[in-house]
Amino acid sequence: MDEISRLFPERLQKELNRILAHRWDTLQEIRLRLQQPIELIFNQTHEQLAHLVPDKHDFTHIIQQLSDYSLYRMEEELREGYMTIEGGHRVGLSGKVNTLHGSVKAIQYITFLNIRIAKQKVGTANKVISYLYQQGYVNTLIIGAPQTGKTTLIRDIARMISSGWKHIPSNKVGIIDERSEIAASIKGIPQHDVGARTDVMDACPKAEGMMMMIRSMSPEVLIVDEIGGQKDVDALMEALHAGVAVVCTVHGHSLEELKRRPGVQVLLEGRIFERFILLNRTAASGYTYTIYDANQRNLLTEKMGGYS
Amino acid sequence: MIWMGAILFITTTTWIGFEWSNRLANRPKHIRQVKNALQILEAEMMYSHLPLQEAFYTIQKQTPFPIHAFFDRLYKNMNYESKDFQVVWEKSLDAFMDISCLGKNEQEILRQFGQTLGKHDFLQQQKHIQLAASHLERELEAANEQYQRYGKMTKSLGILCGVFVVLLLL
Repeated sequence: MDEISRLFPERLQKELNRILAHRWDTLQEIRLRLQQPIELIFNQTHEQLAHLVPDKHDFTHIIQQLSDYSLYRMEEELREGYMTIEGGHRVGLSGKVNTLHGSVKAIQYITFLNIRIAKQKVGTANKVISYLYQQGYVNTLIIGAPQTGKTTLIRDIARMISSGWKHIPSNKVGIIDERSEIAASIKGIPQHDVGARTDVMDACPKAEGMMMMIRSMSPEVLIVDEIGGQKDVDALMEALHAGVAVVCTVHGHSLEELKRRPGVQVLLEGRIFERFILLNRTAASGYTYTIYDANQRNLLTEKMGGYS
Repeated sequence: MIWMGAILFITTTTWIGFEWSNRLANRPKHIRQVKNALQILEAEMMYSHLPLQEAFYTIQKQTPFPIHAFFDRLYKNMNYESKDFQVVWEKSLDAFMDISCLGKNEQEILRQFGQTLGKHDFLQQQKHIQLAASHLERELEAANEQYQRYGKMTKSLGILCGVFVVLLLL
């Protein structure tokens, strides 16, 4: 976790290392607020560190480290409100926003930071993957509420498709990573392992990205995050007609709920997808997934691998 | 014996005089170097979008001594000497003052400039560079004028002082 602790000034760094000694594994977020105690979010609990209160100087230090002492290069990040750092971790920024003609220009005073620890869970898709293959990969829709492991799963699916598994040979994979969450690229270089035969279109609007990818990189499988809205659906249809298998995720709690959503409805009723994977997370059973076939019959319900 | 001493004394004072005049001549030269370096920095920031450390590296390659030494030290010590950029900047500036002929004013301008470096967006950063450059321009004029006025005089003043003291003592 060197990439993260190096951001902090010495005083905070020492304390955090002491407090987190062997709990880095379960750490999800480190939240900093100016003149407020640092907050640590773990898988199950959260903690306030009353004796660690970052001041203005600490914030300047962290921001200098984040920006490589060159805040002027962070124009886009300051507009988007987040940046990706080495190791695929993401830092959310908040504070006073400057606007120009009604749209956000940049965050000027950064007073809130949220460092989200990225953990690539290799092996999540081990069991799922065999359900996605029938003499070639089939179109798959992954459905889940936030924080149910959608992105983690789709990342591992991408990795497995592009490196092959058991007797199945590897395939060319194209990832449209609009929110830089699947591959977590810095300057176009993926920070997560997404497989050797994977091309990534980072920070690209999905609809355009899908067409660009098909035109220029001829992928065999397209991986897309967070489908929603008419434009995305249109582009998706186009991709399907081009003969590319698509694996994508969508926000939702159940198949029934999705059927009522106008934008996404088409995807479910048009019999486009042959597999649906519904992700769930409950306090009692942890992360689980259910796989449905094209007729929405239940094929398998299981606990997700790789999660504790 | 007396004559030997007298000659030695005069040589020393002459040398001091020349050194003095040299400093006066070098000050505008060094200020101009700093200004050029700032211009390169601006270009690297605005057009190449380089991070500071890499920008320092390019400047270091393009500039002559002594400003070269300043940026070279910055480049090598960022993230090494201290994680606080301010500390590295000030220490490099102190080392630079020892080898260059810059005066207190220029030091203060550069010190303040260092506090703004890497903490603002493009527009602000550019303004700060231009501000520092215009301050330096003013100092450059003053330094030039000082050289015009005292440059030749200090040279001859050295010899004359030596001769004067020798005559007094003889």
